[in-house]
Amino acid sequence: MFLNHFEYFAPKTSRETLELVSRLGNKAKILAGGTDLMVLMKAKAISPEYLIDINGVEEFKGIVCEEGKGAVIGANTKLAEIQFSEELKAKYPALAYAAGEVGSSQVRHMASLGGNTCNASPAADTPIPLVALGTKVVINSLSGERELLLEDFIQNVRKTNLAEGEMLTNFILPEPVPQSACRYTYMGRRDAMEIDIVNMAVNIELETDGETIKNVKLVMGSVYPRPLVSKEVPPLLIGQKLSEALIEKAAEAAQGEAKPIDDIRASAEYRREIVKVLARRLLKETYDAAKGV
Amino acid sequence: MKKLIELDINGRLYEVAVNDRDLLLDVIRKKAGLFGTKKGCGEGDCGACTVLIDGKPELACLKLAIACQGKKITTVEGLIQEGGALHPIQQAFVDHGAVQCGFCTPGMIMSAKGLLDRNPKPTLYDIKHELSGNICRCTGYKRIIEAVQAAAEVWSKEGVK
Repeated sequence: MFLNHFEYFAPKTSRETLELVSRLGNKAKILAGGTDLMVLMKAKAISPEYLIDINGVEEFKGIVCEEGKGAVIGANTKLAEIQFSEELKAKYPALAYAAGEVGSSQVRHMASLGGNTCNASPAADTPIPLVALGTKVVINSLSGERELLLEDFIQNVRKTNLAEGEMLTNFILPEPVPQSACRYTYMGRRDAMEIDIVNMAVNIELETDGETIKNVKLVMGSVYPRPLVSKEVPPLLIGQKLSEALIEKAAEAAQGEAKPIDDIRASAEYRREIVKVLARRLLKETYDAAKGV
Repeated sequence: MKKLIELDINGRLYEVAVNDRDLLLDVIRKKAGLFGTKKGCGEGDCGACTVLIDGKPELACLKLAIACQGKKITTVEGLIQEGGALHPIQQAFVDHGAVQCGFCTPGMIMSAKGLLDRNPKPTLYDIKHELSGNICRCTGYKRIIEAVQAAAEVWSKEGVK
């Protein structure tokens, strides 16, 4: 298993990186953790002519998590840093948990949050809670900067909204509103190095009475070419207090929206069944967390 | 075209000529001549090639050697103590019979080192979770976990590094 021949660049600043990204265009790939990229290159699925290693660029790393101001996470922040960050665990437990369930310990120390998004695998862990949290991505190029909701950024299997000459540099997470909670769960065959059969995140915000649902977002992964934000669940639950009957109805609605495929990990039929199971569990868990139970 | 780079492996500087595409694992084994680190799947799934890079467990089979300049690489050979004694984790693996064929052992030990450096008092769940990227074909997991628990006890008593 050899890699193809390529030319290696290791820029030190974001400016240098953007110049390389602009000049080399689609012939180049950005190397962050390499846990997806190297595997694809070894399998000869891709053969980039240039690799731009961004691990020497400090500006692309780090977590800034201020009281009342949400969080900004650099695209090349390693998943292990997110998993172990006390600030993120307190404020965004769904994200810290999802980051801790990616691959293995070794993979999490190498792989980056930006890579997990830009690889655009439909089964990726971290984009699901990030979408549920309303995360925006910051996209940079020599000609400037733009922001986009993450749910609009990932478009299809291995396809993102990035144009030639652009790269993802930051994630902006909004401050969680009071009386809200976001949780993440997944189903896989084993604990490590598996690819999720179904994964899901739910974000619930309650009215001041602490019981009525003001807002809800349910996001599913592994059942659609990109993270699937449920359109049918919110109208069923908003303005209601969660009951067993409502949970059942919402879970069935999510199940109806999921469009999974048959593959080596699971059949579409099984996946649809699991969507319902996870939705039931996760709606209850998130609702209780939002209530502060 | 080959480039001459310096790699810090176990505190010793190795000057090696590499191609951009050469992997750290191959350089450690073939150019530095350190055969402790094993090549298993070559795809990052099995953990046999685990080494510490700046103290963090990483997969040498997915890491470009050229990207490791200026970093501290530790392989299983680097754990040896003064006077040639085994590291407490290695000793615990011997004492608990946690080695069968031995192929996964260096990776297991490096993952355990990464875990104990960060968290010297891991729970059973912590050990299982952090070592789950290391596969043992002999399936001797129970004793491996016991060995890491035993090493953790020595660690917190004696503060080994």
